[in-house]
Amino acid sequence: MKLQEYTLSTHNFEECMKCTVCTAYCPVLQVNPLYPGPKQAGPDGERLRLKDPFFFNYALKYCLNCKRCEVACPSGVKVADLIQSARIKYDTSPPKWRDRLLASTDFMGSLARPVAPIANAVTGLGVTRSMMDAMFKIDHRRIFPKYSPYSFEFWMGRHEKEQAAFSEQVAYFHGCYVNYNYPRLGKDLVKVLNALGVGVQLLEKEKCCGIAMITNRMMKEATRNANHNVGALAKAVDKGLMVITTSSTCTLTLRDEYPSLLGVDNSGVRDFVMMATRYIYERLEKGATLRFKSDYHKKVAYHTPCHMEKLGWGIFSEKLLRMIPGVEFTMLDSACCGIAGTYGFKRENYEASQAIGENLFTQIRAVDPEVVACDCETCKWQIEMSTGYTVMNPISILAEAIEDKQ
Amino acid sequence: MRFNTVIIGGGLAGLTAGITLQKAGRSTAIISTGQNALYFFSGSFESLEEAPQRITDLFTEAGIGLHYNPGVRLMPMGTFRKAVLSLEDISLFPEPKIGNKALIVSFTGYHDFFCSFLAEGLEKQGMQCRVKLLNLPELEQLEKSPSEMRSVQIARTMDRIWETVVREIRILLRDEDTVILPQVFGLKDTSVPSRIRQGVPAQVVFTGTLPPSVPGVRTQMLLKRRYELLGGTYLMGDEATGAHVHNKVVHSVVTQNLGNHFLEADNFILATGGFFSKGLKSNPFEISEPVFDLDVEQAEDRSDWYNPEFMREQPYMKYGVATDPALHALSGGEPYKNLFAIGSILGETRPDLGTGGGLALRSALAAVDEILKPDEE
Amino acid sequence: MSNQEFDVIIIGGGITGAGTMRDCAMRGLKTLLIERSDIATGATGRNHGLLHSGARYAVNDPESAEECIKENMILRRIASHCVDETDGLFITLPEDDLAYQQTFVEACRKAGISAEIIDPEMAKRLEPSVNPDITGAVRVPDGSVDPFRLCAANMLDGKLHGGQVRLHTTVTGFIKEGDTIRGVHTRNLVTGEERDFYAPVTVNAGGIWGHDIAQMAGVHVGMYPAKGALLVFAHRVNNMVINRCRKPSNADILVPGDTVCIIGTTSTRIPFEECDNVAVTPDEVNLLITEGAKMTPSLSSTRILRAYAGVRPLVSADNDPTGRNISRGIVCLDHEERDGLKGFITITGGKLMTYRLMAEIATDAVCRKLAVDKKCQTAETPLPGSEEASYEAVARKIWEKPSMAQKAAAARLGTRARHIQTRDRLDEALICECEEVSVGEVKNAIEMMNASTLTDLRRRTRIGMGTCQGEFCACRAAGLLAASHGCIEKEREDLKDFLQERWKGNFPIGWGDTLREAEYTQWVYKHVLGIL
Repeated sequence: MKLQEYTLSTHNFEECMKCTVCTAYCPVLQVNPLYPGPKQAGPDGERLRLKDPFFFNYALKYCLNCKRCEVACPSGVKVADLIQSARIKYDTSPPKWRDRLLASTDFMGSLARPVAPIANAVTGLGVTRSMMDAMFKIDHRRIFPKYSPYSFEFWMGRHEKEQAAFSEQVAYFHGCYVNYNYPRLGKDLVKVLNALGVGVQLLEKEKCCGIAMITNRMMKEATRNANHNVGALAKAVDKGLMVITTSSTCTLTLRDEYPSLLGVDNSGVRDFVMMATRYIYERLEKGATLRFKSDYHKKVAYHTPCHMEKLGWGIFSEKLLRMIPGVEFTMLDSACCGIAGTYGFKRENYEASQAIGENLFTQIRAVDPEVVACDCETCKWQIEMSTGYTVMNPISILAEAIEDKQ
Repeated sequence: MRFNTVIIGGGLAGLTAGITLQKAGRSTAIISTGQNALYFFSGSFESLEEAPQRITDLFTEAGIGLHYNPGVRLMPMGTFRKAVLSLEDISLFPEPKIGNKALIVSFTGYHDFFCSFLAEGLEKQGMQCRVKLLNLPELEQLEKSPSEMRSVQIARTMDRIWETVVREIRILLRDEDTVILPQVFGLKDTSVPSRIRQGVPAQVVFTGTLPPSVPGVRTQMLLKRRYELLGGTYLMGDEATGAHVHNKVVHSVVTQNLGNHFLEADNFILATGGFFSKGLKSNPFEISEPVFDLDVEQAEDRSDWYNPEFMREQPYMKYGVATDPALHALSGGEPYKNLFAIGSILGETRPDLGTGGGLALRSALAAVDEILKPDEE
Repeated sequence: MSNQEFDVIIIGGGITGAGTMRDCAMRGLKTLLIERSDIATGATGRNHGLLHSGARYAVNDPESAEECIKENMILRRIASHCVDETDGLFITLPEDDLAYQQTFVEACRKAGISAEIIDPEMAKRLEPSVNPDITGAVRVPDGSVDPFRLCAANMLDGKLHGGQVRLHTTVTGFIKEGDTIRGVHTRNLVTGEERDFYAPVTVNAGGIWGHDIAQMAGVHVGMYPAKGALLVFAHRVNNMVINRCRKPSNADILVPGDTVCIIGTTSTRIPFEECDNVAVTPDEVNLLITEGAKMTPSLSSTRILRAYAGVRPLVSADNDPTGRNISRGIVCLDHEERDGLKGFITITGGKLMTYRLMAEIATDAVCRKLAVDKKCQTAETPLPGSEEASYEAVARKIWEKPSMAQKAAAARLGTRARHIQTRDRLDEALICECEEVSVGEVKNAIEMMNASTLTDLRRRTRIGMGTCQGEFCACRAAGLLAASHGCIEKEREDLKDFLQERWKGNFPIGWGDTLREAEYTQWVYKHVLGIL
């Protein structure tokens, strides 16, 4: 027996040096004293929970899962994963109806989309919002994203043939938001990729990535979706396709949360799932070109979504935007917007959510851009609702800036 | 992605190298696994006997005030330590007797600042001391959480309410000529320490707390901001996991987050720190360098790594990566042509460059000079 | 010089002394306990903390086995807040002889220990950390016991029954009149104060140091110092005690205790001079890891927190060089009968598990000498803190919504957790974040539990026992101690001693994360705080 193999910890939480850097970076701690903080909730709490589940603290639900603690940790401790895993393992109470409702983006989308005008009108009504607040504790100050009258999948169905004509192909994991609420982003991606000579196809059938289910502890449903999606991704990968995404949260979920929180093995597909900005940047780096409009001008402030920060890929969105002639680029200091998917929709989190975002909102107001760029749909809702500034995905800005005919 | 220089490690050494190279017009990227030793920075640069102009310039341009004043500084446990070049908010004195009477001010419920130790240390020097704890309603929010009365959290509040503190001190102050305060001021608003000094009619001595160090956090933020303003690419929360190397030339490094998107460069600088920062790794048999598997100077027998007396110098802390005179890192006794090792990963293998903060700055500048040296051909 | 009269003086603040103090005080004797250091500093605090079922001794030492199982059941009743009823497994590895299992189970049954052979698959379900290759498993009523808590609770009960405790006080000599011990000369090692105490009976409960104490009294007790080394792992890998089902040997017990688990032990004869300063050697560390990983493979990839060693006070019986075959049975010597020295009793041998029985035997001997006819009640009366069956119940009774630190305090102090001050929320602030120790709990240990140094505090609260090994909590706690005794100079030294004591257990396993933490601690104390 070699002693070398027998002496180093593989328990990630034991790498914590108690330096408290994570607590200085946690956006929740700054606004909510009920939250024990990432160090306490993560590596410290883990040792106690291993002793006895009695030490599980229900205040862990205040964690945003923004992963800023992980980005800041000098020891590489997966603090947020520890917290989410603990919630999954020890909080055995059934998820509330409200949480189920918020988490079922796929289900809600397929219900609401065919009756989009009515659904939008209803969810927009003050009375509905008060009712949702009273019945479900969904904060009445929240504005729900509007549903699109047609789905992105439907639109793609009508363009299947022309997309198939491209010699190079990628698959697109569009996510619920593009499909039900905002097909335009998907169409923008198709435009940019086509301009690069790449055709876009859908996965055989994609389901919601499941992040909202995970954070709302609907583990069975989340695992079912994860297994389905890994299968669908594998089929695309087997065909030799890269899988492109436009949502940083979906991407992080597909790549990292599946194995770490759901125990779903995605090793065969993980490296083939890529944010569109990275994919496009790499194409351009290898010599592909885009023709930009000569008269394009836009003052853009880029906000790195928390999960983009965790992916470490903000650099690609930044470099792409800076590459566009006519873009006056400002990088905003990295800060959480406070929404964290469904978190900010819950009445008990509304104040905290807005207080967390204030740091970012102040920066945006100071820069006063024409548009805020960011790769996450929930950040978009939050920033638009809280500041009134328009938020666009970098892909949409790119689509707007390139010539229609390449 | 291609750069002129890729720097692995975003602490004091890495940022110094990055800023200097960017200023010289070289494109750089810094790979940083989370935060670094600046979080525990005492505020004084060890082993810098003089204050080279380029160092003070570098900090001044980043908005960080330094002062050069060989003498002693007051440590948090009430002892005195030699100090030369320090951040502006660290007071330097010619001798340990820093006044006649001191008012030591802290906050109720704050356990990371050691008033009684400070008082005893100052009394030993013949001073009279009085300790007062402020009970500020603005800190109530922090008190509610059992683990939140910590330096950075307090400093965040102090950025807003420092004027209240000044007012309270003016009320408390009798005939004291010195006021001792914890270093919990000027986290984001860097003007706070000097404005407190203006507002208090006595000399104000900001003294360290348990980490995180507020001046350290501020220094890190300002250096990083300066680096990014100069166009540097700071990859936060990423980790170099390997490299592509050929004939003692490094071609690219691989990172955790970027996977098969390699970072290519003409030069590479390794500034990953000591054991804490995982620049050096250890198992029961050896100490190694994980990214390039460089030569690490060390005692062979584990028993020789330690001094059983905690307070004595620890041999393992002197171990570091072997380099040639120009700081090219060695592997198998041979230097890499374009890989430099700087900062505390050198341990004490380069006594000519000093230790701690001094080593970080000196070695960073030496490596940068080497990179900027015009080709001899 | 002021004098004081007692019925009985007990020398030694380990578990035997503490137990004897409690028993004597409960029988109405005016009792004084003298300890030269702190509670549980010798073998009491330096073992596995195993609540033996007796199974380990069943084959070789049936008498000890029977004592163990009886005391095991008693401790579950009287010391619930010190005991973790985990149950234990005796596993057979492929390299072990499965036939031994039968011998073992029969011996257990003879000793009255329930020993149930279970399917290895079942064992793996019960305790997933166990080596998956096991060929056999037996379930026994092992558990874990916290020796510090047990010792503190016994002493506290002694005090509640009128006894007195003098810690950090050394016996410098005996007051002898002819062939009779009349009392002791003592010196307080902190204040330097010298005092004499008188009693018709003195009990030597000094563990391995009992050898020297006896010598001082002019009698010889043949003792055998056997060093046992152990390793603490940084978290609880197992939830059941794991033993090897074979003849007792090195590193074959893994005990979960509070937030950690402990593997041990070795057995090496050492000279008496080394008893005060035992060190763990690299060979011992290697042996413990390699053997431990055979039982529980994940130990090999778990951070090691520290290495420590204790000295077993075995009473010499033969010349066995390993010391394993020496009887661990209880030895109570009445030196009047044995050596013609009146008023002096030595209680030794035995083990943590049987401390109560040892105390009962010693107290019976004291009572005989004093012609006191009182029955022992220690087996029926719960220790202070153990009035509730579980710490969950304790926490929920005291606090409506217990915080993490309050839950942890309830686990450490049992019902005595209600004495923790929570006058305001500032008392709820954490001093130790690894083990969740609040300001209030630290104050409680200082004010109600005689803690005067950081190391004392550690034994009473677990401060500094977590993964940071005192890096952050030591200086915070030092601030509170300084505020209580007011001597900063002393506290500065105390802080250095504490860090030294932590380092002593760290450097033998100084690699990986432990070395990272050590380097950080060096920075914090030397460069940031400037302790020197």
